[in-house]
Amino acid sequence: MAIRVNPLLIDDLERYGAEDVQKCYHCGNCSAVCPHTDETFLFPRRSMRLLQMGLERRIEGSLEPWLCYYCGQCSDQCPRDAEPGETMMSLRRWLTSRYDFTGISRLFYRSPKAEVLAMAGLGLAVGIGLVAWGLGTGGDIRIYDGPGAFLRSEHVHRFDWGMAAVLVGLLGTNAVRMWWFTMYRDKESRVPLSLYIKHVLTLPYQFFTQKRYAECGERKPWLLHLGLMLSYLTMLVLIMFFLGTMQSDTWHWQAHAFGYLATVGLLGATAWMIRGRVRKQTPLHRHSHESDWVFLVQLFAVAFTGILQHVLHRAGQPLAGNVVYVIHMMVAVPMLVLEVPFSKWAHLVYRPLAMYFAAMRREVLRARAPAPLPAGARRVQAA
Amino acid sequence: MQSCKIGVYICQCGTNIAKMVDCEALVAFAETLPEVALAKTYKYMCSNPGQDMIVQDIQANGLDRVVVAACSPRMHERTFRNALQVAGLNPYFFEMANIREHCSWVHDDPVAATQKAKALVRGAVLRVARHEALERKTVDMCPEVLVIGGGIAGLTAALDIADAGHRVHLVERQGSLGGNLARIDLTAPFLNAARDLLTERITRVTESERIDVMLHSRVVNLDGFIGNYRATVEVRDADGLPRKTEFLVGNVIVATGYQEFEASRITHYGYGKLPNVVTSFEFELMLRHGRIQMADGHLPRFVSIIHCVGSRSQEFHGYCSRVCCMTALKYAHEVRSAIPGCHVSDIYIDMHAFGKGHEDFYRRSSEVKTLFLMYRKGDRPVIRRADPGDTCDMLIEVNEQLSGETIEIPADLVVLMVGMEARSDAHEVARLVNISQDKEGWFIESHPKLDPVATTTDGVYIAGTCAAPKDIPDTVAQARASAARILAKVARGRIEVDAVYAEVDEARCSGCRICNDLCPYSAIEFDAVKKVSRVISAVCKACGACGAACPSGAIKARHFTDAQIFAQIEGVLL
Repeated sequence: MAIRVNPLLIDDLERYGAEDVQKCYHCGNCSAVCPHTDETFLFPRRSMRLLQMGLERRIEGSLEPWLCYYCGQCSDQCPRDAEPGETMMSLRRWLTSRYDFTGISRLFYRSPKAEVLAMAGLGLAVGIGLVAWGLGTGGDIRIYDGPGAFLRSEHVHRFDWGMAAVLVGLLGTNAVRMWWFTMYRDKESRVPLSLYIKHVLTLPYQFFTQKRYAECGERKPWLLHLGLMLSYLTMLVLIMFFLGTMQSDTWHWQAHAFGYLATVGLLGATAWMIRGRVRKQTPLHRHSHESDWVFLVQLFAVAFTGILQHVLHRAGQPLAGNVVYVIHMMVAVPMLVLEVPFSKWAHLVYRPLAMYFAAMRREVLRARAPAPLPAGARRVQAA
Repeated sequence: MQSCKIGVYICQCGTNIAKMVDCEALVAFAETLPEVALAKTYKYMCSNPGQDMIVQDIQANGLDRVVVAACSPRMHERTFRNALQVAGLNPYFFEMANIREHCSWVHDDPVAATQKAKALVRGAVLRVARHEALERKTVDMCPEVLVIGGGIAGLTAALDIADAGHRVHLVERQGSLGGNLARIDLTAPFLNAARDLLTERITRVTESERIDVMLHSRVVNLDGFIGNYRATVEVRDADGLPRKTEFLVGNVIVATGYQEFEASRITHYGYGKLPNVVTSFEFELMLRHGRIQMADGHLPRFVSIIHCVGSRSQEFHGYCSRVCCMTALKYAHEVRSAIPGCHVSDIYIDMHAFGKGHEDFYRRSSEVKTLFLMYRKGDRPVIRRADPGDTCDMLIEVNEQLSGETIEIPADLVVLMVGMEARSDAHEVARLVNISQDKEGWFIESHPKLDPVATTTDGVYIAGTCAAPKDIPDTVAQARASAARILAKVARGRIEVDAVYAEVDEARCSGCRICNDLCPYSAIEFDAVKKVSRVISAVCKACGACGAACPSGAIKARHFTDAQIFAQIEGVLL
């Protein structure tokens, strides 16, 4: 049965950053040079082809975009400047918008203006809300911590947990949708339940080590990415579980040492990445979609305001500390609420999931493949 | 028979001959043959020292016959005949034994190969002793030229000849000049208007005093030979009444062009049944009228272009029509600039982008977002009407090779890139001017690489797409080449014809006329008064068919007499 193609998909993908995919004439150099392509997951050429032809359903069902870490060797080798690496990146953006059922992701990716407006709107609401809360609960802007504090850590803590629940709910439904698209919707993509158990360790392993990125050839981008991720994770744990400790007037060196380390990691890595995108020296950094800038600038701003309010507090400037704290929340909340489920941040869930699914699918397809022929024999194709 | 002094030269051809044939033994053997005055071997007989050796030996030793045992006479017979002429000897007192292509190259036993080489040399020695001195004749060259076909090839050739100061008779079957090119809008890959290319040519041709343009006309007869052809042309006057006119020309250029493949022969595409499936020429007409539209007048949103319609297939034509790929890319550009939102897909087998600027054009077509879908030879896409709920007119099912998927792509307008084929009346032209056609019907050139404009008939040249599918630059190049070849011959005033031809002994000819029809070159005419056949020596190619067939033994092939051939046979039967 023939599959209906959507020839206009390529126009849509242009807004996600795939501007050059139509130049590809399928020499296959990209797949030849890719360190990750294998007999089960052939990319980037195959993904480029699916996109050129507008085989929407096939792309939705494909894991390949998440298996690529954009080392950029394909783009360097491409004789037609079709930017296969950037195409894979764009497909990740497009898939993110497909996994999201609300349509917000699609809106953000296609209209950076809407994204920035939403950020600003939510930031403003958070600012007004926090000031109102602080004043309403009898807080004093000159007190940072303890009784009468402007933003009491237990309140913020409760707010954080509420926000986390929303995020997990959104990301969870997106992940289920991803599973449905890639592992269930088409009969041939389904795998036995036993494999889900067998390969389950892939998930935490890839999440915490990002080992696959290290296999891209160069180790530096992997270390940078890993550093950023671990810093973020550390900070997340500190905020979600030790916010009181962090915010208290007394000094707890165990928590703070981790906090400083994470801050250095976040600021250092984001600054380095921003520098890379400005300089455009590696293929990964040559093309920057608006969502890439939002991601980096926002993360840098969150880390910077976070450490600044802490420093001001410690320096005996509770008023300034509180003001910066409000600003910090005005940046951090939109980032977490809007970026994590609807934009680039979501890849922290999709990538490990894709590797988990890929491990299962690889096993199934290898079992299905015909046995290798003895030397000298030739396979006769059925008429 | 008078005794003679024969020189035998054994060429080693570097090691080509020497590695398989014992050249010294051959020399020793040649010295024992009757009437051989000297025998020598040398590394390269065709080199200047090799030729000088022959010249000096003729002059110093009074040689009067020469045999060179070397490569094929096609390669160097002319070289050695010239050496004889330089030495003051009649060039026909020469014979070549082919001990390379016929011996050293094809054998692997040196002893047997040497034995065979000896036989070939002996045959040549016995034959050359019976050679006669022959004189080459020269004939007048009429400077006027007949050009058949008024397309871009014919127009260009006519202008070049007229510009050199000679009269051209340009015969065009249609009522206007321009041929197939006049049906085209823009040309690939530089997007020049075909109209601009043509109007300059046509204006100059019609204004030229030296070009006699005959529209609605056809050549009905051509008699004679190079330099002296008599053409009969049927011209229709204003009332459509035919009138015959005759004139003399020295040379003929055939530039009759091509016809397009009949698209309805391929049923997969529904041409003739689906209203929005059109041929490339019908699409060109839309472009020339400035509106790309569907049968109902709406603008298409999806245009698909199918390549190789009639070309590169087993059932129709095996060859590539060469211009369709670039024309299809041109359509992609034209559609995108006329209807910016329109999606264009090219359904192709392979993309042939071999010419100047073509690869770049292909690249630019990708950049305007043309979707290239590859199908396999013999596995044609199928076009059908869209289902009622669809927003397009048709659906094309393609077994797409680059993705391995069987897909269905929407289409509102399908353009079939119909290939070129030899005109259905090409065989009539071929018979008229006495040239050959290949199995596809294209006219055959004298040599596909070294002589691509001449034919096997002296004075008849081919140019453009009557010889094979070609693009405009190649067509123009061939037209100008044929004009140049003719002008070079005309410049010499008279032409020399080979002394090797058949002769009829009128006293013995019974006038049976068997040879008249047998001659593949139409070189034998019948003298109705004397009731004898006569060979037109300038047309004769010395194939010998008439001599073998003549029941009265009245035809003698010069340089291939019975005595010469029998002697050679006797020679090789060692």
